Amino acid sequence: MLDQDSLRAFESRCTQESPPRCRAACPFDLDCRTFLARMAEGKQDEARKLLDRHLPLPHVLVRLCDHPCENTCLRRDLGGSVALHGLELACLLNTDSQERLLPLPPKRYRMAIVGAGLAGLAAAWDLARKAYPVVLFHEGSIEDTLLIRFPQLRQCPSGKDFLAQDIGTLTRRKARFQRVDIDNGLLERLAAEFDSVLLDADAAAVLVPEESRVDASTLLWKDNICCAGWPGHTPTGHPLALPSRQAGQGRYAAQTMERLVAHISLTAERTKVQGPLRTEVSGITPVQRVEPGVITQDGEELFNSQEAVAEAGRCLQCECLICVRQCAYMQKFKGYPRLYARQAHNNAAIVKGLHTANSLVNGCALCGQCAELCPENFSMAELCLAAREDMVARGVMPPSAHEFALEDMENASGPECFLALPDPDMPDRPAWLFFPGCQLAASRGEQVKTLYDWLRATLNAKGLGVALMLSCCGMPARWAGRQRLFQEHMKRLHDSWKEMGRPRILTACASCLTALREGLPEAETFSVWEIMDGLDITSLLAESQANTATFASMPPVFSMHDPCNARYDAAWLASVRNLARKADAVVEDPPLSGATTACCGYGGLVWCAQSDTADAMAAHRAAQLPHPILASCIMCRDRLAASGKECWHLLDVLLPGMAQHSGNEPGPGLSARRANRASLRRRLLARTGAIVPEIAPPPCNLRIPQQLLTKLEKRHILLTDAESAVAGAEATSQWFENMDNGHRLGSWRPRNVTFWVEYSKEDGGYTLYDAWCHRMIVPGSGGQEAHEVIAAQQCCTDGGRRKQP
Amino acid sequence: MSLAPNYGPDQGTWRCGRCQLPLEQIKVPVFYLNSAFDVFLPRCPQCGLSLVPKSLAEGKMREVEALLEDK
Repeated sequence: MLDQDSLRAFESRCTQESPPRCRAACPFDLDCRTFLARMAEGKQDEARKLLDRHLPLPHVLVRLCDHPCENTCLRRDLGGSVALHGLELACLLNTDSQERLLPLPPKRYRMAIVGAGLAGLAAAWDLARKAYPVVLFHEGSIEDTLLIRFPQLRQCPSGKDFLAQDIGTLTRRKARFQRVDIDNGLLERLAAEFDSVLLDADAAAVLVPEESRVDASTLLWKDNICCAGWPGHTPTGHPLALPSRQAGQGRYAAQTMERLVAHISLTAERTKVQGPLRTEVSGITPVQRVEPGVITQDGEELFNSQEAVAEAGRCLQCECLICVRQCAYMQKFKGYPRLYARQAHNNAAIVKGLHTANSLVNGCALCGQCAELCPENFSMAELCLAAREDMVARGVMPPSAHEFALEDMENASGPECFLALPDPDMPDRPAWLFFPGCQLAASRGEQVKTLYDWLRATLNAKGLGVALMLSCCGMPARWAGRQRLFQEHMKRLHDSWKEMGRPRILTACASCLTALREGLPEAETFSVWEIMDGLDITSLLAESQANTATFASMPPVFSMHDPCNARYDAAWLASVRNLARKADAVVEDPPLSGATTACCGYGGLVWCAQSDTADAMAAHRAAQLPHPILASCIMCRDRLAASGKECWHLLDVLLPGMAQHSGNEPGPGLSARRANRASLRRRLLARTGAIVPEIAPPPCNLRIPQQLLTKLEKRHILLTDAESAVAGAEATSQWFENMDNGHRLGSWRPRNVTFWVEYSKEDGGYTLYDAWCHRMIVPGSGGQEAHEVIAAQQCCTDGGRRKQP
Repeated sequence: MSLAPNYGPDQGTWRCGRCQLPLEQIKVPVFYLNSAFDVFLPRCPQCGLSLVPKSLAEGKMREVEALLEDK
């Protein structure tokens, strides 16, 4: 389980929740993006709520603000920054305040503010709003103080008196104003009488030190006295009115005053450690700034409602989502990595209740595309794999998530399919071991055999023996988070490899390459493509291209699809392209290829845990590729072809005479894969002259229409499961009979799943009509007697465990 | 009267192949991951052979299995 520090480290790498540049530049934290969204929708009342919520003295500040937000707008070079200032003004003029002044019980700490400059007034606004008793001490009238500094306040659009409106609101919030002579005596008196004092560095300049003498991180000068609102200066030393900075300092100092009276840290959690929001702007069309029909004498733009909607509509609504846009899995869960990290963390912390993020954790293909696309390298694979390992370690991994894939792994490495074959001509000097991978063996047995023969012939001529191993590499265990199983599997592979004389390994599968490099670090493992690229493949091509019919049906241009496990394997990426070129195939790289390639949905066992997510990934990837696809991984090939896109494997191009199917045909189903693996093993073994035991006949002669089998395999019901169920039901006489059509219905529970089969018996054989399965244990089904099952259970029907006697 | 849910066969009239008796809706305890529930299923009144219809296996039963696995 992630600890808090690791979680924060994960979270901090996703910037999706970081404020956009306009908001980050605003001293008042105005949610400019949402403001513009509401304005673009024509909902000015909603937009006004944001101004009221975020801005102190909204009228005065909207009129005076030097709008630093516009300087940072990403629209700046794409038609001009969005006119936030003009739109705020339009919103203020067209709407009334949306804020209700609720009477609040006054707080006990009294606050004094000296000087009615922008900083003093902003601080008074914030403190009064939170019901602190505030007294603002000022020299001369407030109006004069501000109008001298900001004469533009005299001329407000529509003839409104913005200053009077804000002072009126401040008065209604029970801020008190007191005219005094500002001197040191006053400061001493106020510091003693009030809980905290703020000095406005512009309007009470005589009392305030230079800005450099005040701690910038708190604006606390000494004791309980804060200072804020120094006027800015140009680089040449001339005074420069920066109203946003002055008022912003007033707000910041007010926050310090609150912390001061509450005796809490003045600095903790004030600045958020969060990277800036990344926004991709390439490909965005420039749109010119809307010119309003009315511009006042002093240059204020006055947008009417229609113009405001059009101008606000230019906002890019900045957000990152660089990874999410490319990942069907992340889109499915409707969030982004930062949120997912929190959900995965909370999921692990649940003691009682539903672990609703289990599907999030098991839906990731662990392909690593997000880490490559993300400017901060956020890796969902790292997050989800750690979460899976943690779930397995605590015994809370849903059993159904990966069980089927792990059974498949066991089958591919078990006695029916495992084969370690020394080089028949050089049994004592195997320099190489060809490890094609269990899925290539399952899908392209004949091609594996031909490639192995060619490798042997070519390398034997150089005095190098080539052994062969058929097995699963153990990657499914790694993806399932079952580290111990992965290590046990690797130990077995290691022992076999050692017995063969520690040859260097050649593999045709990117997942095998990754698994073997990680789990068998003593061995040198290469991709078979890399080695073939270094050999003369003319003989291979000449022989196979003789089959011109298949060769002519190849597409003129392919889109190259790289397997996700090879995204950082430069040798793999280069050699598959070289080999395709040598075979006269024209390939184009799509925008996302090599390091940024996408997963076909096989990775991370998503195909097993959430087949719909895996199918969405395959469809998403297929849609990104304009031409028929050329893949160098067999699972990519089979899955992309199953999504309806023409897809060929590199071996089809190198060995076109061997291509038994077109690029449009899906690969074999799950049952056929298992049978093909076993069959390849038997054929290879038989060639050596070894006595291969006869294949045990199926437990019954069951006819299943191919269409039905395809449907059943989607529910992870294999041909052998159906055969065993019929045979089991018949052997135990545990079947039901349909009185209407004579169909029989039997069930069989060979492992954690009960399979039901509806079939008929005829001509010494059986015909299957339907099958289904469930994991629940139902007494009186699955070939077991009801009373035995009930007696064996450790729990009662009230949901609790049965008490031990 | 029991509140346990009742699931009949999806279609057709079924009888036990072993006892040749028509099935009756009988309460059966079903088990999964340390939990147990009572449901009424078509069952042979003599030998206890129980039938799980497809609509139940792929509907409510799958739903409950997923819930219990995520519990």
